[in-house]
Amino acid sequence: MPDDELFDLAGCLDRVRRRDQAAARELVDHLYPMVIRIVRARLPRRVQEEDLAQEIFLKMFSRMEQYQGAVPFSHWVSRIAVTTCIDHLRAQQRRPEFRMADLSENEANMLDTVMTSENAVAPDEALAAHELVHKLLGQLKPDDRLVIQLLDLEQKTIAEISALTGWNTSLVKVRAFRARRKLQKHFQDLKRKEHS
Amino acid sequence: MNQEDLAWQKLVVAARQAHDERDETAPYGFSTRVAALALAMQSQASIASILDRFSWRALGIASVLAIGSVGVSYGSWSTSTEEDLLSDEPVVSALFDASGE
Repeated sequence: MPDDELFDLAGCLDRVRRRDQAAARELVDHLYPMVIRIVRARLPRRVQEEDLAQEIFLKMFSRMEQYQGAVPFSHWVSRIAVTTCIDHLRAQQRRPEFRMADLSENEANMLDTVMTSENAVAPDEALAAHELVHKLLGQLKPDDRLVIQLLDLEQKTIAEISALTGWNTSLVKVRAFRARRKLQKHFQDLKRKEHS
Repeated sequence: MNQEDLAWQKLVVAARQAHDERDETAPYGFSTRVAALALAMQSQASIASILDRFSWRALGIASVLAIGSVGVSYGSWSTSTEEDLLSDEPVVSALFDASGE
């Protein structure tokens, strides 16, 4: 989250409401790092990250009057960012099922390591693990992907995911449970294909 | 925890170590473009809302005028009888005369 202590957010929002363009620019610059992190973590295929970030900021400005101050402004914006990304992910075609042959050598080795070895993955293989995780997540439906990403990769709590997505906590738990079952199935399929 | 869960947990622990080194500052001109677009959208929205408000107001005034005119004319309408209305038809009367009765 952006450091609101060093930035006069209330003053800036007040100026934006009075249609001050310089204040609007300052607000975008202030929030951009947070928004771009959300976008990069959930970027749908064939969508430019800058286009998506622009769409999120335009939504933020157009809904500014709806912001009541019940939650910190950055939380409110991150919810807009997450829901905009999820809308784009829902709109795109399902990713075709991938096979072992679609994995790079590093990713295939990584899969083999985590499936067969008892040891943790070496730190220098983090990038290959990251790529493989995203390929596996890409096999899930957007809502399932989002919940697993927030829970396992970003280590958010159920309450935080609920606040970010607007889903109630029971729904978050059910989605996470189902998504994990689907991930297991993808692992099993990959393993079967590897041996066949 | 089964083998697939364990493999997934090992993968995500490793994936969390991968740091994104890309720059997170807004590209040059991005904030200027977005701010200009946002304010332009707000002006369009405010023009639309003014027109919207005026059209509703005009509809209200027209309704009041219509109800007023009905109220003013109601007295003369209610006292008119069918006979009065029929006697005020010179064309029908002329046609009757022409029929030779």
